[in-house]
Amino acid sequence: MGTISVEHGDRLFWLGRYTERAYTTIKSLEKLYDRTIDSGHEEYRDYLAAFGLNDTYGGREDFFRSFIFDGENPSSVAASLVKAYDNGIVLREEISTEALSFLQMAMDRLEHISHSSKALCLSLLSLVDIIFGFWGCLGENVYDEEIKTIIECGKYVERLDLDLRLKCPFSMVEKEFGRLCTNLRKVPKNTPYRYNTNQLCTLVELMGMGENYTESKEEAISALGRLFEPVKRTVLAG
Amino acid sequence: MKKLNFSFSTKLTFDNYVHDHSIALRCIPPETETQHILSCYLEISPMVPTEQTTDAFGNLVTSGYLKNDHRFLDFEVSGCAEIDCGKLRRDFMPCYRYQSPLTKPGDQIRAFYESIKGECTATSPEERAAFFSEKLFGRMSYVRDSTTIRTTAEEAFSQHKGVCQDYTHIFLSLLRMDGIPCRYIAGLSSCDGETHSWAEYWTEDGWRGIDPTNNCPTTDYYLVLSQGRDYSDCAIDRGVMLGAYTRQMQLIASNLSGETY
Amino acid sequence: MKSEIKTENLDLEVPIANVDEINELLRRYGVKFGIYKNGVFKEQLFPFDPIPRIITAQEFAAIEKGLIQRVDALNMFIYDIYHDKKIIADNVVPEDFVYISSGYLPQCEGVTPPKNIYSHISGIDLVLGKDGEWYILEDNLRIPSGASYPLIARELTRVASPKAFTDNPIVDNRNYAQLLRDTMDNVNCGGINAILTPGRYNAAYFEHSYLAELSGAALVSNDELFVENNVLYHKTYSGGRTKIGALYRRISDEYLDPLTFEAKSLIGIPNLMEAYRAGNVAIINAPGNGVADDKGIYYFVPKMIKYYLGEEPILKNAPTYLPFYEEDRKYVLENIGKLVIKDVAEAGGYGVVFGSDLSAEKLEEFRQTIIREPRRFIAQEVIDFCDLPIFEGNEKVMRKADLRAFVLSGEKTRVWASGLTRFSRNPDSFVVNSSQGGGFKDTWVLSR
Repeated sequence: MGTISVEHGDRLFWLGRYTERAYTTIKSLEKLYDRTIDSGHEEYRDYLAAFGLNDTYGGREDFFRSFIFDGENPSSVAASLVKAYDNGIVLREEISTEALSFLQMAMDRLEHISHSSKALCLSLLSLVDIIFGFWGCLGENVYDEEIKTIIECGKYVERLDLDLRLKCPFSMVEKEFGRLCTNLRKVPKNTPYRYNTNQLCTLVELMGMGENYTESKEEAISALGRLFEPVKRTVLAG
Repeated sequence: MKKLNFSFSTKLTFDNYVHDHSIALRCIPPETETQHILSCYLEISPMVPTEQTTDAFGNLVTSGYLKNDHRFLDFEVSGCAEIDCGKLRRDFMPCYRYQSPLTKPGDQIRAFYESIKGECTATSPEERAAFFSEKLFGRMSYVRDSTTIRTTAEEAFSQHKGVCQDYTHIFLSLLRMDGIPCRYIAGLSSCDGETHSWAEYWTEDGWRGIDPTNNCPTTDYYLVLSQGRDYSDCAIDRGVMLGAYTRQMQLIASNLSGETY
Repeated sequence: MKSEIKTENLDLEVPIANVDEINELLRRYGVKFGIYKNGVFKEQLFPFDPIPRIITAQEFAAIEKGLIQRVDALNMFIYDIYHDKKIIADNVVPEDFVYISSGYLPQCEGVTPPKNIYSHISGIDLVLGKDGEWYILEDNLRIPSGASYPLIARELTRVASPKAFTDNPIVDNRNYAQLLRDTMDNVNCGGINAILTPGRYNAAYFEHSYLAELSGAALVSNDELFVENNVLYHKTYSGGRTKIGALYRRISDEYLDPLTFEAKSLIGIPNLMEAYRAGNVAIINAPGNGVADDKGIYYFVPKMIKYYLGEEPILKNAPTYLPFYEEDRKYVLENIGKLVIKDVAEAGGYGVVFGSDLSAEKLEEFRQTIIREPRRFIAQEVIDFCDLPIFEGNEKVMRKADLRAFVLSGEKTRVWASGLTRFSRNPDSFVVNSSQGGGFKDTWVLSR
């Protein structure tokens, strides 16, 4: 294609981020749900704390419903899917009508599940299937490597960001960081999603801390957020 | 016949940087039956690559695009022309018969027209044009800054004041109601160092000029820059830009000096 | 044109199965129309009705011929108006009707579009009268929309109801994107094809993006475009630029270029008209072509066909009268109670009055207005057009429907073997406009 506009570049990146935010949120909540089955019901507060949020929920069930179905809650799966769709809708010719339809289906499925009487994690399975379908469809329908790379960069930035915030085990964080780097290497120089060397160096350093990374997780999250900041060039005098 | 040295310049400054600035200038006097351009220079600063086309009304359009940040745009057109208003142009377009957005009459102009049209029994366009110019001149006062470039003929007429652009629009409105094709001219003449505007009406022989602001026929001391149905077709400089500016200021200077043969 | 075979009499098996699934698919693909849920039709903006309109091969051949003839003449007319104006000089079309039309743009005088094509994509609205005759209702030459709906509906209907297609000889309509692409390529001045959209909140955004995807054109908005050295470029995110050779714009003329037309336009491209005039980009459809789809000009289209092509018009206009002509005026004043009166200066659905809706007093008032300003109006007979079956819930009912045929003028003029059939949901209404809550059907053209 060779003609990605600034806006579409941005949209591709955020499409990746929001779709991944929906997915990782589901996965994290599933794990949390499992833990809260036998470890008391207050553990969801750790999840809230990871995002700097207070417990304003009427208990465990209320928390889970809000973080999955409540479109008004910006951290919910519902809100993430709407934002993913919002970005996808203007990318029809880049990602294909078929891929876009999975985002529509995901929103529809979530709506359907919200009325379901089945066990929460059981009914979420079908939603996860649809998200997998979306990624598969992208892989199948998008030929332009540049487009794919931007979406994947968004995807793995989001994954790593959430993993850092949730203080996932280093063995996992390390793997996700590796995947992000694989994608970063594919971004051509002089395009907006080329990594900022300084920020990437910071990340590499912090990853070198191993399990202790959590001590500097704020720094790592900040570097990740600034990973695509344009590099300020220093002009050498003389 | 008269030989005129002309110059016209504008300095446009912004209170913040602008970019993606597109311009369309109609400031180069066209070569016509009544004016022979001996020399003409256009300078634009900052440097902008430009292209030239001729629009549907016969105006020379200079277009350009400045991508990078800048805080000002100046241009100056200058040169020398020979004017002979004894000759007549014949570049007619049917749209000159019809009202255009800025000349469209409302109740006020229409009532004015109905109240005066019978007073003139002459049928020639020359006499009728002179009659309407006279009547209009008696009704309006020239007041600087009393209108804007978007003011319509009806709006200016309703307040009985305006500048040369408004006089011309109302005059065109009256003449078109009267069935006489006519057009708007933007150019240089004696008009306080700014641009001037006047009208041309169609006769069997071709276009004749009349200056409604001064209620007189045009002379060799009128240099045409552009023509059209009304001001919007003739704007000497139009531009669109992006940026975080809140104000722009434009300084205009024009000069016309001549010698009679 | 008289259709020899009446569609209603055709013994066709049209088993559209899985209607619920088709609507589910339309929703899934972002074509958010109405849905049948448990057999109950939920009202939404542009509902899909699964019973297609069927046009026989023979009938379509005649319509096709008539439409090609009509659009060719319209293109010649527009060229003539912006150049030699022979049709006015020869007193076939009175000049007032041309120059007071809002679609006439003096800024386009003397500008010649690539290959002289002004209307590349024409949406011609027809109705089938109860007398078995097709009548032209309106020519839409500016930015006619709607092709994407039957296009995606067909795609999905074939998936959900293949038997209807194996059992019936239906011409595949999914070549529209290719037709569109050919049309753009034909006039492309060097560079990519692009579709200019006013944005995702436009009512037709689905169509813009769907056609971009299918035709391989870039979907662009004005802030990604600029004109430099009279060439139109698309800005790429890496700071580069790509030349655009053909721009299928989905915004109207007056907003196209703030340096030529409406200065306050925020959706236009500055100096696009300069690039166009310099011959560096084709604008699809060409600016100024609205002069030919004006209400007042409609009356003259049959005359144009004779004038430019020396042929008899194949498709008829709805019987129309111009009070401008004395004979017509007399008829209109006498029969005003049964006519539709349209104000030519008003755009869209405005200024349309049915005489039958007016009181005796109002009618007399209207007569006086017509006598005073005869040029301002046209009058038409109300055509009693055919009803088509639609589903209202589980029930089949008959409703008024029209057909928007799409004619693409490329190297050759071609008629898309399908079209958008719109129907009125109100049993008493003749208005099939989607803004009035109407719906749409697919249009099947049979191959025999």
